[in-house]
Amino acid sequence: MSQRDIDRFERIIVPHMDDAYTLARYLLRDEHDAQDAVQDAVLRALRFFDGYRDGDPRAWLLAIVRNCCLTWQRRNKSGKTVIPLTDTAPIADDRETDTLAIQRSQREVLQRAVEALPIEFREVIVLREVEDLSYREISDVVGVPVGTVMSRLARARKRLANTLGMLAKEAG
Amino acid sequence: MKCAECRELLSGQVDNELMENESQDIQAHLAECAECAREHDALAATSQLLKQSLVRHSAPDVLKARIRSALAQPDVFEPPAVQRPKHSQWIRMAIACAAVAIISSGVTYEALTRGGGPRGVAEEVITSHVRSLMGGHLTDVISNNTHNVKPWFNGKVDLSPTVPNLDSIGFPLVGGRIDYVQGRAVATVVYSRRQHVINVYSWPHRAPNTDPVAAGSDKGYHLVEWRRDGIEQWAVSDLNTAELMDFARAFTASR
Repeated sequence: MSQRDIDRFERIIVPHMDDAYTLARYLLRDEHDAQDAVQDAVLRALRFFDGYRDGDPRAWLLAIVRNCCLTWQRRNKSGKTVIPLTDTAPIADDRETDTLAIQRSQREVLQRAVEALPIEFREVIVLREVEDLSYREISDVVGVPVGTVMSRLARARKRLANTLGMLAKEAG
Repeated sequence: MKCAECRELLSGQVDNELMENESQDIQAHLAECAECAREHDALAATSQLLKQSLVRHSAPDVLKARIRSALAQPDVFEPPAVQRPKHSQWIRMAIACAAVAIISSGVTYEALTRGGGPRGVAEEVITSHVRSLMGGHLTDVISNNTHNVKPWFNGKVDLSPTVPNLDSIGFPLVGGRIDYVQGRAVATVVYSRRQHVINVYSWPHRAPNTDPVAAGSDKGYHLVEWRRDGIEQWAVSDLNTAELMDFARAFTASR
């Protein structure tokens, strides 16, 4: 690989490292595994960079990150079943107004609920709500038809809405 | 439009991903079906809340440094090994740590009175540490596997540095490199703790063994120094001194 290709790679792929790491964190739920998977993914991306023509470079990288994460998870069969509490959870503050406290606790509940989703729901939620990809891009990353992306998003959101008590409990 | 049909497309409506005519049909249905409208509003509110509240992570400096190094020398990359230490190793490590804590308490006094060593070394080690974080030169060999990093130094420096596996206590190995301190090539092993990088420098020394001792701080970087079996080692990091001392004790305890 020529220095020019590496420069181009650094210009258009490397800036998306935070997004890559975020996806890996949600998929693997472990900071060390996420780091290893992203490193693996970036070097794989470099190797396949010839094959990248056009399209959104971020979606292209995220597809590779997702594949690496799934491989990583399969190899580490121990599979972490514990849902970690987010380490960013702030300590309650007496001066906080009730509204703020409710919003904060709602955010925490939601964060935990997303981390507890089965991976096929978790990945579409993160790709849509955090990474802001289109259905077409999510379909490419996950490798399922656009219709499936839509129905998975619908089911995942319904579960989360139920968790928040926004919907009357119903089957589904 | 029937409710079942509408429900199937609601997520697409929330995400603005439907065809123009589909979207119009949905809107017409929502105007006359309170049940579906309620479901739509709940999904939209959930989506809004998710966008606002889900944590967005930043790639840690250690990861960025590892990637920069790998890009600087794509050939030396080696895929990280995946095995994690088992619980029995954990327990052995814990026992070893406890043993060292007991023994070292008696030796600390002697170590403290020995004095911090030549000031020049400390300065050079910190400078080297800072340099390693700035450029693309944190590691020459990238691996989280002890058995890859240790032999890599063969023939490059005049000693075989200790490269213990400290992954199980939260200090994963990043890799190794050759650096220059006091005008000579020095084996440098790189570990990490959360976002912090720890560089461990090793060179031969004839003085007797000493336990890890805090050897100074400068510009927010901390130094810990010890000697083992003819090797003097310096660990430097922006990690707090207590954790850096934990690291040093575990490092010297595992052979």
